[in-house]
Amino acid sequence: MAKLLDKQRYKCALGAMQSVQAITRALPILHSGPGCAQKLSESIGSSGYFSPNIFPCTSINEKDVVFGGVKKLNSTIENALKVIDADLYVVLTGCIPEIVGDDSGEVVSRFEDADKPVIYAPTAGFKGNNYKGHEQVVDAIVEQYLKKSETKQKGLVNIWADVPYQDLFWLGNLRELEKLISELGLTPNTIFGYNRGIENIDKIPEAEFNLLVSPWVGLNNMKKMERKLGIPYLHYKTLPIGATETSKFLREVGKFAGVAEEKVESVIKEHEDYYYYLIERYADLFLENRVINKQFTVVSDAHYALGITKFLANDLGLVPAKQFVVDDTPKNRREEIAEEFKKLNFGLEAEVSFETDGFKIHEEIKNHDYHGYPLVLGGYYEKEVTESLKGNFLNVSYPVQDKVVLDTSYVGYRGGIRLIEDIYTVAVQRFN
Amino acid sequence: MAYKIAVGSSDGINVDLKFGEVENFLIYEVTDHFKLIEQRSVSRETTELNNSGNTSNAAEISEFSLEKNCEKSNCKSSGCSGNGGGCGGAEGVLEKVSLIEDCRCVVCKKIGFQAQKQFEKKAISVFDVEVPIEEALEKITYYYEKIDNHKTLRL
Repeated sequence: MAKLLDKQRYKCALGAMQSVQAITRALPILHSGPGCAQKLSESIGSSGYFSPNIFPCTSINEKDVVFGGVKKLNSTIENALKVIDADLYVVLTGCIPEIVGDDSGEVVSRFEDADKPVIYAPTAGFKGNNYKGHEQVVDAIVEQYLKKSETKQKGLVNIWADVPYQDLFWLGNLRELEKLISELGLTPNTIFGYNRGIENIDKIPEAEFNLLVSPWVGLNNMKKMERKLGIPYLHYKTLPIGATETSKFLREVGKFAGVAEEKVESVIKEHEDYYYYLIERYADLFLENRVINKQFTVVSDAHYALGITKFLANDLGLVPAKQFVVDDTPKNRREEIAEEFKKLNFGLEAEVSFETDGFKIHEEIKNHDYHGYPLVLGGYYEKEVTESLKGNFLNVSYPVQDKVVLDTSYVGYRGGIRLIEDIYTVAVQRFN
Repeated sequence: MAYKIAVGSSDGINVDLKFGEVENFLIYEVTDHFKLIEQRSVSRETTELNNSGNTSNAAEISEFSLEKNCEKSNCKSSGCSGNGGGCGGAEGVLEKVSLIEDCRCVVCKKIGFQAQKQFEKKAISVFDVEVPIEEALEKITYYYEKIDNHKTLRL
């Protein structure tokens, strides 16, 4: 019996077309029905040189289900190469061609000698959601495009973090992580966003190590790159938000990269001094216990649930109620992620539930005693339920409806301050 | 459940006619296997012409019937694109579509946009492919067998 999923927080794997789009001058070629790109695209900063409305698509229909869509795929790739000027063409397959058994990989291999690279990522919806699809796209780049490099560039670090577009703050976050890494004297390399692209992809094999800042998304890519390109990786599970976590993050990255301890500490000191200067100035606001809620809940993917929970507990001293991870985390990763939620200051531990059903999450929120009004950070779906409990709500994760983010970031010292601003802006509105 | 499939073919072996070129649709009936049950003529006049045998070569026939088609629908020959000979405007298409509206789908080498839309309206599937008839029918009946019985097409 088919199951219904209430308030879904992710898309099908073909949603990875957004990851491709985030790579400047990379073009997704969709081998899917005509409605797929339309349904998967949103107005969240996805217009521009390439936008979902112009992605080449085989627009397969009943005929291709019966007779196969291989011919159409071949001509679509051929013509895309002719009429669209891109640096990298990524063929993404939807459910239909994979169900009926089109050999898309074979078709793509016919374009090995094309002037521009054409690669292929199987992103059928039944294989998983767009977090998985994002991994597939990176995998495709590693597997089909990159080659092992004999030379290494000293201090070069590839940074992998958010899933572009799925995460509202992806651009700002990546840039902030880059900034932090370069302050340690290392050279960051990322492939997504403005002024990054095929040249950055080409640089990947020359890196000394990969830095993955994510609880689970991308871990398979890191392992693949370690095997194929011989690049070791540092898996840092927590998105560093605020002073406590960011300092921890810098120390760990510094240690892994062999950066002198004094150097790391001086970077940390400079940031922390300013950070705590700001906190001190507003101490009266933070210490006024009627303003902010006593307990909080985060409803988001593992990335933010973990990062924000640590930040609110460690830096703001709030008490975590139950946290909800809604990204359909693979079962074999859940335990170690749940362990991370227990590593909080002041001997606090957060209970976490890996739940994708919005109804169940809302029932739990309604039935929990928050010792006052709740503070809920989550998707837009949580707005109504939080309002019904007279709580404070901040939209931080998918789906986002009441927030426009161009390049803001919640990462690092600066990101922590941003998040405090946003949360307290909501909180003080209650009294004004 | 039995259903019918209309095929455009000149030799009874390959799907080699465009929708507009078809003068005799081969109608196959599908039960647990498929068999040819009927040849359905598009225009009686053409059939008669064929039978009377007063023309010696096939080119003449098709040329003649093309003219006939144009006369019938008051369509100027300059407005007829391609060599389909089926230019009958919306009216001509409608007539031809109605002729096989008891079929579940139609299989031709090419089928124009107008005709596709008209078939869509009647919920008749269109398959424009250039393969042997047997292959086409095998694939189509396999597909219908699966979806009628709610079975997956997954390989």
